[in-house]
Amino acid sequence: MKKFMYSLIMAVFLLGGDAYGQCNPEEFTNACIPKLSQGFNFLKSYNVDGQGGSKTKVEYSYVFTKGTQYMINVCGSGGANDGIVVSLYDSKRNIVGSNVHNGQQLAAFVYPCNTTGIYYITYTFDGSKAFCGGSALGFKR
Amino acid sequence: MRFTGILTLMIIISSCGGEKKPSEEEFLRSLEESATTETSVDTETINAVLQQIPSPIEISMMLKESGTNYNATLLNSPENISNYNTNFQKAMNLGIFGTDLGYTNIFEQNQDGIEYMASIKELADDLSIGQFFDIETIGRLATNSKNLDSLLLITTQNFNNINSYLQNQGRSNLSVLLLMGGWIEALHITCQVAEKSPENAPLRDAIGEQQVVTESLQLLMELYAEDPTMKQLREDLIPLWEEFAKVEITVEKGETTYEVVDGIMMINDNSTSTINISPETMTNISNIIKSVRSKIIG
Repeated sequence: MKKFMYSLIMAVFLLGGDAYGQCNPEEFTNACIPKLSQGFNFLKSYNVDGQGGSKTKVEYSYVFTKGTQYMINVCGSGGANDGIVVSLYDSKRNIVGSNVHNGQQLAAFVYPCNTTGIYYITYTFDGSKAFCGGSALGFKR
Repeated sequence: MRFTGILTLMIIISSCGGEKKPSEEEFLRSLEESATTETSVDTETINAVLQQIPSPIEISMMLKESGTNYNATLLNSPENISNYNTNFQKAMNLGIFGTDLGYTNIFEQNQDGIEYMASIKELADDLSIGQFFDIETIGRLATNSKNLDSLLLITTQNFNNINSYLQNQGRSNLSVLLLMGGWIEALHITCQVAEKSPENAPLRDAIGEQQVVTESLQLLMELYAEDPTMKQLREDLIPLWEEFAKVEITVEKGETTYEVVDGIMMINDNSTSTINISPETMTNISNIIKSVRSKIIG
């Protein structure tokens, strides 16, 4: 009976347990905030939880103001961005830019805003292992 | 029977936090929906809209950069705290004091900031969200102007954490009031400063471009159309929305160029926007926001 119970418990854990490691985005957002460049004031932090790859996109939005520079950085496991791509879209869903340049993923981008409006900050995954990270938004005038 | 209990417990434990299989997911969703049928869809929308609202700290920074002086008489006095008895008043004025605190921080008026912090802590305690304010740390940071960045960071984080907490607790209505209060105060300060400097174009633009934010705020108010505590506020704000509808914002698209500087992507967007707001609309907005705010601060 003891052996049967043990097998049953193991089976339940294996079948119903985690298919991926738990994502703790706060750990990465906390790492990202101090990485905002000198002069940028922290505004918001964003959790990026791709739920082990089952979620392909995480999106937030924010009203950007003309005359303000915004910086968005990304932090993932291993001290880098772990394949997390952050893209910025304007209110009409036209892409404004991203942290990818000539195929290379960078840690951050800076966007001096000339048009006040709602912008969409979208996180996708390209070659990510953990599908888990954090991001910080900062501003300066 | 005991075996069934253990098995059930094990299934619950093993499913916690993991990727759920469709049947479990459906079961959990049905439980959630049965508890919050009326608001479950709206909560997601509300949280998404709440995220969009710009921080009042941006307005304070703009005011400082535009060369205006610190003016404590524009703010709500921390002593008014004794007037606030309902959760509506407490949440709205917590937002207002939050903007005032940001303003004092940006202008490095730390002694005033400490007084706002004390009132903020008291209101937050009354709303059961006082745990987010470490008043000792903030007080210590506020004693030295060299700590401005840390002070701004910690206060911004506190308010962000409160909003997330309230949303997760299903108390988004308080989060809405907090943000509304903060926005109303920021607009009020900007209008008052602009009245004294009518030729200051950045100030005029800053007011006009709030039209973008008002669209989100109107949506929030609509989502709470059935909430009796917000009914009066919703009605009071209608004339304000009507004035903002008269503001014209035109956008001219330009080419975007990119360059990498020190490992950071620099996006150079050559689009521009022009804000057209008449002096009459400016005056009306200023008067309406003054009247709405007066009712809130008591």
